[in-house]
Amino acid sequence: MNWKIRRFGQAVFTVWAVMTLAFFLTRMMPGNPVDAFVARVGPQLDNPQEAYEMAEIYMNINPQDPIHIAYVDYMTTMLQGDMGMSMSQNSSVAAIMGEAIPWTLFVMSWAIFIGFAVGISLGALMAYWEGSKFDVALTGYATIITSIPFYVLALMLLITFAYRLNWFPTAGRRPEGVEAGFNIPFMVGIIHHAILPIFSMFVASGVASLTMRGNSIRVLGEDYLRVARLRGLADRTIAVQYIARNAILPMYTGLMIAIGSMFGGAVVLEEIFTYRGMGYYMIQAVRARDYPLMMGAFTVITIAVVISLLIADLTYGKIDPRAGNEDHDAF
Amino acid sequence: MTISESAATDRPSDDVIVELRDTSVEFGMERGQSRVLNEVTTEVYRDEILGVIGESGSGKSMFASAMLDAVPEPGVTTGEVIYHPEEGEPISVTDLSKDELRQFRWEEVSMVFQGAMSSFNPVLPIKTHFVETLSAHDYDIGRGLARAQELLSDLYLDPERMLNSYPHELSGGMKQRVLIALSLVLEPDLLVMDEPTAALDLLMQRSIVSLLEEIKEKHDLTIVFITHDLPLVADLADRLAVLYAFEFAEIGPSNRILEEPAHPYTRALLNATPNLSAPLEEMRPIAGESPDPVNIPEGCSYHPRCPLADEECETIDPGPYDAGPDHDVHCHHWEQSIEDLDIAFEETSDTGKTPSAVDKASGDPLVSLSDVEVTFGSANEGWLDFGESQTVTAVDGVSLDIYDNDVVVLVGESGCGKTTLAKTAVGLQTPTAGTIEYRGRDIWEGASGSTLADKEIRRALQIVHQDPGSALNSHHRVRTILEQPLKRWHPDLDGNDRRERILGMLEYVGISPPEDYIDRYPHQLSGGEQQRIALIRSMLVNPDLILADEAVSALDVSLRVGMMDLMIELQDVFDTSFLFISHDLSNARYIAEKTGGRIGVMYLGELVEVGSAKRIIEDPQHPYTKALRWATPELDAEQIGDSEESPMRSIDIPDPTDPPSGCRYHTRCPEAREVCATQTPGFVDLGDETHAQKSACFRAYDDHEYWQSASITDEHADSGVDTGGDTDSGVTSESD
Repeated sequence: MNWKIRRFGQAVFTVWAVMTLAFFLTRMMPGNPVDAFVARVGPQLDNPQEAYEMAEIYMNINPQDPIHIAYVDYMTTMLQGDMGMSMSQNSSVAAIMGEAIPWTLFVMSWAIFIGFAVGISLGALMAYWEGSKFDVALTGYATIITSIPFYVLALMLLITFAYRLNWFPTAGRRPEGVEAGFNIPFMVGIIHHAILPIFSMFVASGVASLTMRGNSIRVLGEDYLRVARLRGLADRTIAVQYIARNAILPMYTGLMIAIGSMFGGAVVLEEIFTYRGMGYYMIQAVRARDYPLMMGAFTVITIAVVISLLIADLTYGKIDPRAGNEDHDAF
Repeated sequence: MTISESAATDRPSDDVIVELRDTSVEFGMERGQSRVLNEVTTEVYRDEILGVIGESGSGKSMFASAMLDAVPEPGVTTGEVIYHPEEGEPISVTDLSKDELRQFRWEEVSMVFQGAMSSFNPVLPIKTHFVETLSAHDYDIGRGLARAQELLSDLYLDPERMLNSYPHELSGGMKQRVLIALSLVLEPDLLVMDEPTAALDLLMQRSIVSLLEEIKEKHDLTIVFITHDLPLVADLADRLAVLYAFEFAEIGPSNRILEEPAHPYTRALLNATPNLSAPLEEMRPIAGESPDPVNIPEGCSYHPRCPLADEECETIDPGPYDAGPDHDVHCHHWEQSIEDLDIAFEETSDTGKTPSAVDKASGDPLVSLSDVEVTFGSANEGWLDFGESQTVTAVDGVSLDIYDNDVVVLVGESGCGKTTLAKTAVGLQTPTAGTIEYRGRDIWEGASGSTLADKEIRRALQIVHQDPGSALNSHHRVRTILEQPLKRWHPDLDGNDRRERILGMLEYVGISPPEDYIDRYPHQLSGGEQQRIALIRSMLVNPDLILADEAVSALDVSLRVGMMDLMIELQDVFDTSFLFISHDLSNARYIAEKTGGRIGVMYLGELVEVGSAKRIIEDPQHPYTKALRWATPELDAEQIGDSEESPMRSIDIPDPTDPPSGCRYHTRCPEAREVCATQTPGFVDLGDETHAQKSACFRAYDDHEYWQSASITDEHADSGVDTGGDTDSGVTSESD
């Protein structure tokens, strides 16, 4: 129990540290964005004082307050879920995030799921036929696909399947002219739009398959496997309970890290496919020097990473009994 | 093999449970076909315990696997393996289909490996292993689990606790016993055990071996027990088979093999095995090394090492000769062997009078440890660290003096702190408390971190590791390895002088021709040669004290005595002291008795008894020393059979993070009384004025409140070995 509390404390501390850093960066950065905002907006207004109030609405930071009071105010409003107003999208940051996150989650979780599932299956087969032509060919494939950056693959897919063959849409995230909701044309439309982005992230399967191959080969040499065969267990039991389980275990943490960093990984991908998710808005924010939106996205990404790692740590003990003992740190 | 009809088939054939006919196992290797079992023909009788002895690389594991046709890929088994069930037709194991084989294994013949540590799937609880096995063979799971529980309690384990545990929660000894239970859950008739105890401590080995006898009687088992450790099976086995170079050298009843071995190799092996009772002069190493499986010598494979070898041996493979009832020997000269070899061995080399421990334990100590304490693990780290501190006191208040030309051997179970203490003594481990003095100077004076400040002291205290393979840099030639200490400590020598000195040393330790060896890499040397190089390397520094950490346990039995002799000789020549670490009382006795050194017995971080080899072996005072003495099996045929009851109340060692109060041994001690749980005994000098023996036990006092104190052993007294599981909890409640 102590260990869990400690681990949770560390997670809270990390989130706090990142938010504090975000505040001070915004406040103290050369070309201070708050002052820049005031300087830009101020002259257009009748009352220059209003610029400061607007700064507080947009960024939760009133540049007139002493820094410690500004800090407390900022943290309080952030904790209430108020991340300020976007300067370019004319909406609150929280609303934009709330609207964009499900789309990113949809695309990225499928991408990670398919990548890992394919990688693990291929890796297991490669280990099973270790040294065969199949193994050599797939190892070559995995090495190549791993070394291709996903955005290059994304561009290639986009050119081939969207522009040349016209199989898939070139941009957007939902079909036009179809009512949103649980109806078949809409669902099919979403999937149709998501397929290319999902398959661009297929590169993840390369790493996963090579890791799985290595892990499986290690497990295949273990004594307990030999004993299990002698005990006459069914091949299926051996493959699932003995080889797969022990080979996949070490990849669990990698999977959780991938989930945690998926919002960050979506940035370039969504830009390429004009897929209006978290990453798309983040790029828009950077272009428009929309600091509140940027900081909001930054905070959301951090919290996602921290939460995934926390879940990974807390659940690892459930799937690997060796790490389950709270007296021993899992890391 | 020329004679296919074994001379020993004078038993009725229905008594045979497994029969091997010309069975070979081969592996294709780059260097050629590697034959790791060479046309073996033998029989295993029903309800017997057959002990199979062989050194590493003699093919003994392949023999075990061949009986289940379970030779790992890409090995190929040829010849016949025939299993005779109690009822029904004989089964040819090598002809079984995959599914039939799956049924056959574990239901008829099951197997226990050496690697019990890794024989369980780490992510499944023990119970699942039993359930899986039962359902894979369509056995009734309820009844099977009931049988598993019975087996576990027969092995002095707490069945409920074991079944609900995960493998990593059990100690090595517990896992090994659970594995035995698992192998018996389908009621097989034959149990093949391949080095089942090799990874365990002496006490645990002995406890398991003594349990095997009971298990065998109760479940009508036939056991094939394969080991490199002859004394371990000597009193357990009905028959002994000696494997040499992938075939049997000799097979016969245990007492015949021990008393009147007919094969020269068996004789040499018996003489090369350190034990507690045989006179030291009779122990001698076997010259030469075991053959390579790719190049097995023509004729008798032992002829290159055999003193009786002649032309016949070099050309004709000796078939089994009948050397008495049930006794087969593969040697052309077995009769001569019986007559001549003993005579050859009897000419005793006069070793001269060895100086006694008492003489040495005088004058100023070379290295003096006082109240040394070493603690591992971290206390609370503070700042967001809410964890509890976890510390293990590996060495707890030990004082020991080592003199010039002295030899001290530390023995004890693994985890007793013997290695930590020894490393502290040579300045490789920083003590948490207490001092270590080298000739009156504190060695840690002015030291920063873990490096000694005084280079002279660093030179004086050296170490030889257990595994020579990893102690030598594999990228350096022997010459480079040995030049390093010379360059560092004898900068005045030029290249030629260094070379001369290295050649001289190599020659001296019996590595010849030295010119040939000086340019080799470590992997081109055998284990024994590597250990010699490691030994020379530390000797060239001219140290005053060498720590030899299990320096012989990685070597084959037949080479151990030779290595120990070499160390003793070098000690004389170089005028050094030795601090040996051994988990084996026989090796400890050999070294200590031959040099007149002392043996120190450690238990859970404390030194419990120190004394000369003679006193420790012949008259141990501390109950723990007596237990170690009991756990060291005898080779003497007369003593075989009267296997005494275990002198311990529990098999498993208490948790070192929470050691028992008072005398730490009181939880396992058969003599423990209430006072032992509360008071810690100090050292009592039993040698009177001679300091030849000191024991930390209240029983050493004639007049102590111990003798009035009530015994705490009653509740467990009736069983020789106690339930491993629940004693642990018993311990904590007693010590609270």
